[in-house]
Amino acid sequence: MVSRPEFSARHFGPGSSDGGTPVVLVWRDQWLVVRRGVEVIHTLRAVEVEPAARGFNNAQLALQWTIDDDRHMVVLDSAAAAAFREVSPPALQHRLQPVAAVQRRTERRFRWGIALLAVLALLPVAALGLVLAFADPLAGWVVDRIPPSVEARIGESVLAQTRAQGKLITAGPAHEALQTIGRRLAGPEESLQFFVADRPEVNAFAAPGGIVVVNGGLLSLADSAEEVAGVLAHEIAHVELRHGLRQMVKSAGIRVLLSLAAGDYGQLAGWGAQLSELKFSRDAEREADSRGLSRLVGAEIDPSGLGRFFAKLESVEGAGGALPAVLSTHPATEERKAALEAALVQLPPVAVRPLGIEWPAVRAALESPRP
Amino acid sequence: MAMDEVDYEVFGNEMQYVEVELDPGEAAVGEAGAMMYMQDGIEMDTVFGDGSAQQGGFFGKLMGAGKRLITGESLFTTVFHNESNGKRRVAFAAPYPGKIIPLDLGDLGGTLICQKDSFLCAAKGVSLGIAFQRKIGVGLFGGEGFVMQKLDGDGLAFIHAGGTLKEVALAPGQTLRVDTGCVVAFQPSVDFDIQFAGKIKTALFGGEGLFFAVLRGPGKVWLQSLPLSRMADRIVRASPAAGGRGREEGSMLGGLALGGLLGGSDE
Repeated sequence: MVSRPEFSARHFGPGSSDGGTPVVLVWRDQWLVVRRGVEVIHTLRAVEVEPAARGFNNAQLALQWTIDDDRHMVVLDSAAAAAFREVSPPALQHRLQPVAAVQRRTERRFRWGIALLAVLALLPVAALGLVLAFADPLAGWVVDRIPPSVEARIGESVLAQTRAQGKLITAGPAHEALQTIGRRLAGPEESLQFFVADRPEVNAFAAPGGIVVVNGGLLSLADSAEEVAGVLAHEIAHVELRHGLRQMVKSAGIRVLLSLAAGDYGQLAGWGAQLSELKFSRDAEREADSRGLSRLVGAEIDPSGLGRFFAKLESVEGAGGALPAVLSTHPATEERKAALEAALVQLPPVAVRPLGIEWPAVRAALESPRP
Repeated sequence: MAMDEVDYEVFGNEMQYVEVELDPGEAAVGEAGAMMYMQDGIEMDTVFGDGSAQQGGFFGKLMGAGKRLITGESLFTTVFHNESNGKRRVAFAAPYPGKIIPLDLGDLGGTLICQKDSFLCAAKGVSLGIAFQRKIGVGLFGGEGFVMQKLDGDGLAFIHAGGTLKEVALAPGQTLRVDTGCVVAFQPSVDFDIQFAGKIKTALFGGEGLFFAVLRGPGKVWLQSLPLSRMADRIVRASPAAGGRGREEGSMLGGLALGGLLGGSDE
């Protein structure tokens, strides 16, 4: 007697337990024999059984038949089903094809679906990558579309914030000296405003809308009006090139995208945005340096002042003093210093009119106690 | 695969634990952190992966551990051996209110698909695997996610779920519509699908969500009456500290206040 392949399956229907009863399926020519242990419980013609893909993930093969209005079903797991299909008579085999098709379709949809979900999940990350890669041109594009009136309003709010943080010096030698230098530097149609903040840190910043704020600490450290003029020319260049605005647009965009990509990691997002601001600053500083230099030359002010002020900052740092605040936002890199020196050497000899400000008097006024 | 025969006893009503008796040399695997107590003579051993015997080699173990990582289980399983000469007991406690049910995998055809996190403990030899939900719609809206847990073997396994557990036997072709999130476990012969709630009005205002889970027989399914997420949601909503709105308990004023009257009492 030829041994026929047997397939284990579970039988559901009258006479089986709720969870199914283990049975064995054997083909005898065109007859499918269903055996429980050694007892044959059903003998069916191939055409009598109805195959279908069923179960979890459609992975199982179900064969159904009806006897006296009682529904019976045997279920084979995917491994047994594959072997079962091999030895099935043609009458059943061609009806097993659609079952396999259903199973393939389930699998195919799963792959496509997972791929789609992965793409959706990665979308914010990809957008972030794109924005980081094209941050400068993108920020430039947005900034070009911001009207001057909005820029002026932003500048005013920054100024109001500075006022709230510390007193502005609005009279006296320091204020007048700054206005004198500012007038020389500003072009005829430029609306620039200069302010002295009563703060000891060595720093200066330019806000959108043509607002330049210089700390008293910076004025005290300078030895001449030309040095301050160098710093002012640099800050004016920031305003002119709309660097402050660009930085705001960029960090706002990056912040939004980072929080989208990282979910709820607000802290991390803020930190990341700050890091990229620093990188942006360095590029902008180089640009502002060269633009500031040409402004100094145009205003017939000795352009070596900026370089001298740089050297002074470095000596303060080298002497073990606290790092001046200006260095953390305006990093005086070797590269930047070298570029500045090279530009100075290349300048044609220019007519220089001294600013004519008694700087020691300005310093004295700043150091004297104010009401 | 030799399964260890274990005797057990379930204690408690709504916050249950199961005490498993191990003969000398027998062992049980438990979900890390589920052990409640163990008697002298039981040795605890933490294994990388799922502690089932058939995994060979380092790579096999790594695969088992990776699967557990995907299901959100801890990477290590704990095996409890009885190293003494007599019978000893070890107990595993359910992590939240609900029921523990013992399932004999041998009676169920050797495989059971269950909700992840529902495994509590099993006789050593039961293998814990994962089964991906390959129907995208079910994975997204079926309430159980894409990753299910698969128990293989022919020994006893204990699963746990929230509220009251109901065993339902489905005849061939018989269907049962279930709220998403309430399906705990089912035999692999059961179809698990979703069905749109039907009417937009019902979907939006009926409070049952957009989809039902549809289970189609043959086979056994186990349902939970209270998914943990639902209970957690109610607790958070009732807790002022967690940003929900609190309700004064038994206070005259609280009961008489306009908000209290209008708010109803069934939230």
